[in-house]
Parts: sequence; structure tokens; C-alpha cells
Amino acid sequence: MTTLKDLAAYVEQGKSSEAKTLTQKLLGENISADTIITEGVIAGLNVLGKKFEKFEAFVPELITAGLAAQEALKVLRPKMTQKALHKISGTVVIGTVEGDVHDVGKNIVAMMLQGGGFEVVDLGVDVPPAKFIKEAKYHEADILALSALYSPTRLAMKDTLQALIDEGMRDNIKVMIGGAPIDQDFCDLIGADGYAPDAPAGLALAKTFVK
Amino acid sequence: MKEDQVYKDRRYKIDELRAKNEKMTARERTIKAINFEEPDRVPIDNWMVPEIKKRCLEYWGCESEEELLAFLGVDIRDNFGPSYVGQEFKKFDDGTVADLWGVRRRIVTYGKGTPHEGVFKEVAWSPLEHMTTVEEIDAYKGWPSADWWDYSKMKEECAYWHPEYFVLNKGDRLDRTAQLKPMMYLRGIQQTYVDLAQNPDIVECIRDHIVNYFLEYNPKVFKAAGGEVDMFMMGDDMGGQRGPLLSLEMWRRYFKKAFRKYCEIAHSFGIKVMYHTCGDVYMLIPDFIECGLDCLQSCQPEATNMDIKKLKKEFGKDLSFQGGMSIQQVLPLGSPEDVKKMVKYAADNAREGGGYIFGTAHNIQADTPFENVVALFEAYHEYGVYS
Repeated sequence: MTTLKDLAAYVEQGKSSEAKTLTQKLLGENISADTIITEGVIAGLNVLGKKFEKFEAFVPELITAGLAAQEALKVLRPKMTQKALHKISGTVVIGTVEGDVHDVGKNIVAMMLQGGGFEVVDLGVDVPPAKFIKEAKYHEADILALSALYSPTRLAMKDTLQALIDEGMRDNIKVMIGGAPIDQDFCDLIGADGYAPDAPAGLALAKTFVK
Repeated sequence: MKEDQVYKDRRYKIDELRAKNEKMTARERTIKAINFEEPDRVPIDNWMVPEIKKRCLEYWGCESEEELLAFLGVDIRDNFGPSYVGQEFKKFDDGTVADLWGVRRRIVTYGKGTPHEGVFKEVAWSPLEHMTTVEEIDAYKGWPSADWWDYSKMKEECAYWHPEYFVLNKGDRLDRTAQLKPMMYLRGIQQTYVDLAQNPDIVECIRDHIVNYFLEYNPKVFKAAGGEVDMFMMGDDMGGQRGPLLSLEMWRRYFKKAFRKYCEIAHSFGIKVMYHTCGDVYMLIPDFIECGLDCLQSCQPEATNMDIKKLKKEFGKDLSFQGGMSIQQVLPLGSPEDVKKMVKYAADNAREGGGYIFGTAHNIQADTPFENVVALFEAYHEYGVYS
């Protein structure tokens, strides 16, 4: 349908108010929230993610698209069945690890995951391992996503993984990590399940975990 | 310097290599290098967090930073600019303190209780974040003035290092010449990105306030230095790990003009220009060169396209480089042998024909095992020599 394609285009172009208005209109036309998410919001972010990979889009475009997706989701959320996203894609608990207060990269990833159909619980910055554990349990998270900007603070990721092991939760949850000082070697070193170099890659990685 | 045998033993290797290899002053060496001539050895610059500096002082038995840098053979001496004499930076009840731009900052401790504990001054409040019009931003009372500085000691402070050392005017991290960085401090990082995509008038308004300040401030700094500054450093992060944060078109539209102007002003005083940016800025480098940039700092090896060998090969005729040493992976996570290999790789691939200064991609961080710091400086002297 053209209108769903229009919504995808608004999301891709970061047009928040247009995305919001059109989402309301589409709901009014009795198109289900699930369809709007899949064929409008997620479709738009997918196109942008591909452009980002090809260096046709950069961080400003990622952020504005993420914000537009959030606007659409705010409209859709009350119309979704209970825990719809949790059931459709899964739940991600995300946060910047203890000792680190940087959140721009983490916020972009959270927006992409949300726009990509995941239920996202964002714990903010400077999150101690115990809080990650508590929230992951409470929300029955499928994925724990950890962010760090500085090389010294990334060591807190290891502490968080250890806490998961200590709690006997490690086999039931996938752990993905990201941030400037993170690479595959560091991911392997601390025993996380995956690393993503940027937000669209983060979304793609999360999808592989819940297939 | 402490003369106990233990310290002499620790200093022995660097002392010996320097005695064997050095045939000119630090300033002569560095000037040759940035003019694409081969000196006696690759010049050395030093960026480290205070926690590492403290360990260096203790390990090598140095009683001051000046002693430490002289011992390590660091060729560049930093000048932090004129003295601030404007209104006292306001302190707030929540523990935050305003900076030059009126941005409130909080001291944040990381790695509490661990050997790599350290502190950073993080932005806690951005004064322009919730403004929606150019008029509001123009009316902001916190725009800084070049009159808030006492320039009278600039010349004396820089001349102190001459003729022995090469003087780099680099300012402080929070008042360094830039465009995008102060915008992010003032407006918030996320809102700045939104503005870049959607609010060109606001970007141009904030940028013009920032640029106009530096266009007034920098000539005063350079004039006051009276020929005692060799190179000027500006710093504005434009790169992420895998590519520029914004498109080349966007950089050209918003930032190129002032980048060129900043270079031109320094050059008009006979001062070379270094530019620090983290991350992969490969796509922007031809434009940097066209604007007159002399030396690109960081050359972060983990960033895609920023391998020093590649940079030297593609741009080494027109641009000097400082950096290339990994502070994200090799220094904190590698072995001393890995550190040596990294230094040798940079020396082997960037030394030829001058145009290269040893340096870390950013400050050596507090999580770096100390044996790697020792290996780094020893390797600089071992592999930097021109035969």
C-alpha cells in the first residue's frame, strides 16, 4: 500500500511529525499496528540502514530516522496487544556500563532496536551489573546490550558478564556489546555473544539472536 | 632526577639509545620532519592521562613533568594559551561548574576502586539545548569574548622552551579551536545531529558565534606569542570508527570555510597547523589538504581507513602525520612485544622522507599496563632512527 510506503519514507527521511500524523491516519484506516510497524517503521529503518552501510547516510540521518520511528511507535504502542513487541521480536535490556556516562551511541542503538520491532528497556548510563541482572530478569530479556565509550570503562562489561554467570542466567540470554573501543577481539576476550560496530549492524545482530 | 641505581637501570636503555641516535635539538628535528625532511630520528609527541603521567614519574625517578619529558626524549612542548581572566566560572549547588561557554560540567569518576581509576569532566547541562529559534541563540548571554584572556605571558611562556624544543599551542581540551565540538557542548550531542540534518539556520547561527570567537581570539594569541609558537593545534572530532560522523557534503557546507580560515590565520603568523580528530576521516583528508592543513593528529589505527601506511602512501607528500599508536587495543590489551611491533610498523611505513611524528592516537589511558608504556617509549627510540 502506498501509504505504508509513505510512512517508511518519512521514517527513513527522519520526518517525525509527518510520520506521527500518517501513523494516526493509518490506524484510523484499520490497518493493524503490527502491519504498520513491519511495513512502515521497520521498512523505513531498513532502507536507511542500507544507506548507512554504503556511506550514503551518516549519524545525523540515523538519529533523525530513529526519532521519527519513535514518534510512530508512541502512537502505535497503546494499540498493540500486550507485550506485542516482546512476542514479535524479543526484548532487549540496554545500558551504558558502570563508570561510563556516555549515551549518544547507546541511544541510537536503542532507537534502531525499537524501530526494528524489539521491546527495548533502556536503563540509561552508569548501570551497575546488579541492575542489569535485576532488569533482565524482570523483563524476561532475550538480549542484554552493553555500551561503553572509554577503554577503561569497557572492563565493566566483563563484570556484568560475570554477574550473569554467577546468577546462572548466562545460557538464557544473549549479550551484545558496542561502543568506540569495542571490537571482535574484545568481544571474544570477555566472552560476549556478539559485537556490532554501528547501530544498523546492532539491529542486524540482535535479529540473528532471536531467529 | 633521582640517582638511585634502580632508576638509573630503568632509564638506561632510553639514555643509551638517545646518546647514540640524537644529533640535533628537538626543535630542529621536529621542524625538519614537518617540512618533509629526514631528521636524525622520528620526533616524539606525548599524550597521556594524569594517572599514567604519575606512574611514569615514579617509575623513572623523575621529579617533575619537565624532567620526565626531557628524559623520554619528547620533542614537543605544549602551550596551553593565554590565562583566563574573565568572570569566575560559576559553581552550582548540584556540584556542576560552568565552563568558558557556560556549559555546566560534572566530574565523573570511572573505574572506582580499581587500579585504573580516573576522572573526566563531563557535560551535565547544555545551555542552548532547548532553544528553538536563531533569535534565542543570538540572545544567549554566555558567548565568550576574546577579551576574557590575558595574553601578556604568552611569549615568555613559549620562549621558555626555545630554542631546544618545538612549541605547540594547543589550548585546553575545553577551549581548543573547533567548530562542531563546542556546538555539541552547547546544544547537546543528539540535538546537534538533529540540527545538522534538519535545522540549518540553527547550525549556522551557533557555528558563526563559535567561529567568530576563535577568529578574534587566535590572532591575539599568535600575535602575543611573538614568533615563539611553532605549530598551532585545533581539534574537532569528525570521525567514527568506520567513517566520518557526517557526510563530506555536510562538512563542506558547514565547516570547511572556517577550517580553511583557521589554517590561514596561523600561516599568516608563520605557524604550522596540526588538527586532531579521532576516528576515520579518510574521506575528508583531500579537503583538509586543500584548506592548508600541515599535520593530521590521531591516525587512530582501529578506525577503518586510518592505517598509517595507507595514509602515508596516499597523502604523505602533502600532509604530515602524528599518532598511529593504538590506545584502544594494543596499549591496554596487548603485550610489550605487541607494542614494539606497532611502533616498528609505524616507523617502517611512515618514517621515510620525514612527515611523521610518533604519538598515541589519543591520551594513553589509565587502563594501560605500565610495562606497555615502558615498551612504547623504548621502542620509539629503538625504531625511530634514520639510518
